[in-house]
Amino acid sequence: MLRTTLAGLRMHKARLVTTALAIALGVMFVTGTQVFGDTLEEGYSTKVLGAADEYAAVAIPAWDEGAPADPEAPAPVLPADTLEQVRDLPEVAAAGGMTRGDAPLLDKDGRAVGSVPTIGMSVGPDTRFQPAEGSLPEGSGEVALATTSADATGYGVGDIVTVLDSEDERHEFTVSGLIDFGVDRELSYRGVVAFDEDTTREMTGAEGYSEIDARAAEGVTDAEVVRAVEGVTGSDTHVETGDAYGDRLAAAAGGDTQVLTVGLMLFALISVFVAAIVIYNTFAILVAQRQREMALLRCVGSARGQVFLSVLTEALVVGLVASAVGVAVGVGTGWAGFAFGGEALGADASQPLVVGVLPVVVGMTVGTVMALGAALLPAWRATRVPPLAALRTSATAQGLEKGIGWVRITVGAVLFLISGGIVFAATDGDRTGPTGMVLTTVAGLVCFVGVVVLSPLLVRAVVAAVSPAMRRIGVASMLAADNSRRSPKRAATAMIALTVGATLITGYAVVSASLKTTMDERLAEQFPADYRISASLDDPDAVVPQSAVDALEESDAIGTVVERRRTSTESDDASGDLAVRSYIGATLGEDIKSDAVSGSLTDMGPGKVAVSEEYAGGREAGDVLPLATEDGEQEYEIAAVLKDGGGMGGVTLAPQDFEKAFPDVDGAAGVLVDGAEDASAQQVRDAVYDAVADAPKVGVSSMAEMRAQFDDMLNIAFLAIAAMLGLAIIIAVFGIANTMALSVLERTRESAMLRALGLTRGQLRRMLSIEAVVLCLIGAGVGILLGIVFGWAAGTTALESMVFTLPVAQIAVFIGVAVAAGLLASVLPGRKAAGASITGALASE
Amino acid sequence: MSQTAAVAAPDDGTQAPPVVIARSLSKVYGVDDSAVRALDGVSVEFARGHYTAIMGPSGSGKSTLMHCLAGLDTASSGTVHLGRTDITRLNDRQLTQLRRDRIGFIFQSFNLLPMLTAEQNILLPAQIAKRKVDRERFERLIDVVGLRDRLDHLPSKLSGGQQQRVAVARALLGAPEVVYADEPTGNLDSRSGAGVLSFLRDSARDMGQTIVMVTHDPMAASYADRVIFLRDGQLVDEVHAPTAETVSDRLLKLES
Ligand SMILES: Nc1ncnc2c1ncn2[C@@H]1O[C@H](COP(=O)(O)OP(=O)(O)OP(=O)(O)O)[C@@H](O)[C@H]1O
Ligand SMILES: [Mg+2]
Repeated sequence: MLRTTLAGLRMHKARLVTTALAIALGVMFVTGTQVFGDTLEEGYSTKVLGAADEYAAVAIPAWDEGAPADPEAPAPVLPADTLEQVRDLPEVAAAGGMTRGDAPLLDKDGRAVGSVPTIGMSVGPDTRFQPAEGSLPEGSGEVALATTSADATGYGVGDIVTVLDSEDERHEFTVSGLIDFGVDRELSYRGVVAFDEDTTREMTGAEGYSEIDARAAEGVTDAEVVRAVEGVTGSDTHVETGDAYGDRLAAAAGGDTQVLTVGLMLFALISVFVAAIVIYNTFAILVAQRQREMALLRCVGSARGQVFLSVLTEALVVGLVASAVGVAVGVGTGWAGFAFGGEALGADASQPLVVGVLPVVVGMTVGTVMALGAALLPAWRATRVPPLAALRTSATAQGLEKGIGWVRITVGAVLFLISGGIVFAATDGDRTGPTGMVLTTVAGLVCFVGVVVLSPLLVRAVVAAVSPAMRRIGVASMLAADNSRRSPKRAATAMIALTVGATLITGYAVVSASLKTTMDERLAEQFPADYRISASLDDPDAVVPQSAVDALEESDAIGTVVERRRTSTESDDASGDLAVRSYIGATLGEDIKSDAVSGSLTDMGPGKVAVSEEYAGGREAGDVLPLATEDGEQEYEIAAVLKDGGGMGGVTLAPQDFEKAFPDVDGAAGVLVDGAEDASAQQVRDAVYDAVADAPKVGVSSMAEMRAQFDDMLNIAFLAIAAMLGLAIIIAVFGIANTMALSVLERTRESAMLRALGLTRGQLRRMLSIEAVVLCLIGAGVGILLGIVFGWAAGTTALESMVFTLPVAQIAVFIGVAVAAGLLASVLPGRKAAGASITGALASE
Repeated sequence: MSQTAAVAAPDDGTQAPPVVIARSLSKVYGVDDSAVRALDGVSVEFARGHYTAIMGPSGSGKSTLMHCLAGLDTASSGTVHLGRTDITRLNDRQLTQLRRDRIGFIFQSFNLLPMLTAEQNILLPAQIAKRKVDRERFERLIDVVGLRDRLDHLPSKLSGGQQQRVAVARALLGAPEVVYADEPTGNLDSRSGAGVLSFLRDSARDMGQTIVMVTHDPMAASYADRVIFLRDGQLVDEVHAPTAETVSDRLLKLES
């Protein structure tokens, strides 16, 4: 029996190539992800170790894990004399200290980079850090920048940069080199300006050391150095070996790697799932086509079990071979992924490829099990073939009977109802957050099963609906319409594979587009101006200098200037401080808007307040709100109760009232600026930047830039996800091509006859193309519909008050891709069909 | 149709002009040692309105001859004329057009597209050629072949004989210059076979349809006006106004 199976395999080699390809692609993704993840993790480790393991001991101020971080308290440091003491230890050969403080780096516009000041840090002799480019700074005129700071500002080695000292005085430096802090997330995120030690102290005003690194003297173990250092530093210092320190950093970075790997793996599983559908379909078709062969085997005395095993053996062989190919290619993909992405993710690019046993085993297992699992049902069906089928004429005419399939309809309808119910429950009311997301996912899965159950009827119904139009177009599309209806089950399965990818990508597109509109609306609400100028974040009492406000008001390019003053006071109604604000120069309800639960912002005026729901204590518009002020407790009439989550949490007072209630607050925490109507965007920008030129730490953000940044982020995320899902879609297209190829094989005689009757090769090819395109369009169409529904549901549950937006352009692209995929899928089958010799095909049986 | 202007046909014993003329037709499959001479210098003519049967032992080249005459296959040497067209010089596209517009086919089996109804199958060539259907001829044909109440059936719901009659109706609907049939009754019992054969004979007689049919069955051949015999790719004999007996005799002689 095994020999028969293998002989069969050899004969059907060509038919199994696409199947094998589908398996291989899925396995490739799985193995590639693992190899990439492992290599990345290893790359982090080598990088950290390369830096830290030369040091016997690393001493840093002890941190209290449980305590809440207090941003105002100065970071704990090691006293300056500790370094001398460490250096004097007999166990220590050399030691270096690291001083750290704030050193705001200015970008090319003269503004401080980021919302948190750049870190100023010393890289003296014996530093752990080595430059990625250029050299470490020497003397008072040089700095080295973190690569992330260089990326953010566009500065490179040799450029002159401006850095503020602790008194906000500007100092100029030449960039001597760039340092890659990849693994250390805080340093990478905030950015670093590295000086030599003396300059660091001068610039940042920092005292002591935030880290002391010691090298061991000859013949002393790391543990001994640690113990000796602990002896001089005391209990409020955390001392560990360089290895341990490096491991800790690498583990933190490795955590990121794991998140990345899990995310990638999720997409890999989607690909595997789609591949499984494709394989199932191939085996189902092969078994159907070989019905007579199977029956003949049964006629000559094979037992059911043998037939079953022969199909499974075939699946096993294909699965093993394809998995091996997939694993090999996956290792290559993992390597390519690391080569292109590793550096950007902050890992050591020279890290050699890490190929563990696990990825290979997992890849082989996933591929083989997938192939076997997908072949189970077809194999079982093969055993149901009665020996008598050998005597029947042909299997090609099957599937033409047009039973309605009430069972299918009922089951499908019930599943849709259940799914709809869950979606309703998930999106109704306030069940947002994780529960809502889980419910939506469950609903999506239930609905998908419903689609699977109904799909053959769906294919038939859709084709029946469009075939009158297709008949009119021409003979090729007429034949295509009829062909599409021939085996709805296999067409449906081929299509479903595409539906998976189309649903996910459309769903994501809907979420992304809705997110964008929602964010735009919120931005417009919370940021109702062209520019927002805000006091620097590192000091809660900081204000925008009055000179800047005055300059803005005088400028011709500026239309309106709204000062936002802010303070906080005690509140009995809600826990913690109550924010109190006032807008000077704004008409509330017009310049500044927020959704009201009761009353209206336009009713605001002296003696009145707007309060957010959270602090309203159940009061409504017209009620009286007591407020603790510097002027004693005051009572105000509530003009509006505002929805929580808007930009105006807490209490908003009229300017006159605010001034009376909080006379100490005499500066604006923020200023909202609108350009004058006749000023160009550049003029407005220049005016704004000129006004704050003397206050580099004051933050300037532009609505347009924020929007662009946000859009960029969404676009990148969309492209990344589209790329990940792309593989699943490619596999599905393989599946459709395979289905087409198998159908063409089955219809060899028919094609020959059509050609004999005068159908040109082109028409024959076109017939197949249209058939494949119809199939792809149905698959994509169903996926797009599902994606829209569940994208909406997911968005609604994930994001409060989401504004649903249909990404029309993207959906149009998806439809275009579906058409292209259909055309592509039919290329090879079409060539085969059109290239076959008529007489040869007629002679074949 | 004026038959007077026609060139006198040399030796087919009739006055009708030839529609199909093959000259020294040869077909070689394979190369060198493994070469098979399926046709070896066959020259033959088929006159308008004549019903000709091709017979011969298995492997004698009947199907090959028919395929070359119909432009389904290309000959290795020699020429085939359909009317004034030398079909051996046509490219694939032109051949497709020729088959579409000027030739009808009936095969032994799998003649019909399974997803089309009987009527759709009959109308298919017209649709491929974007030809207007002669409704009158269509009505007459389906009455003669007795398919009126079966037009909406899919082939799988028709008997073998009915399927062949659908194929015949399809081949004749466009009034092609010649109809080729390769063992059209090979899969039928003698009664359904007789129905198809007499219909072919009638259409040759009454509608002036030229028909060339390959068959193994002397009974089937006796419906034809003329039988030609092939052996080893060569034309070896020919019988006019055949009966089943004369054909059987000749065949026996051939195979001995
Ligand atoms: N594609 C081919 N390649 C090689 N040889 C072929 C091919 N087709 C036919 N032949 C050979 O050509 C010869 C004639 O074949 P053909 O099919 O014309 O015979 P036939 O008279 O129709 O036989 P049958 O009565 O069995 O149908 C045979 O010897 C056959 O083996
Ligand atoms: Mg033959």
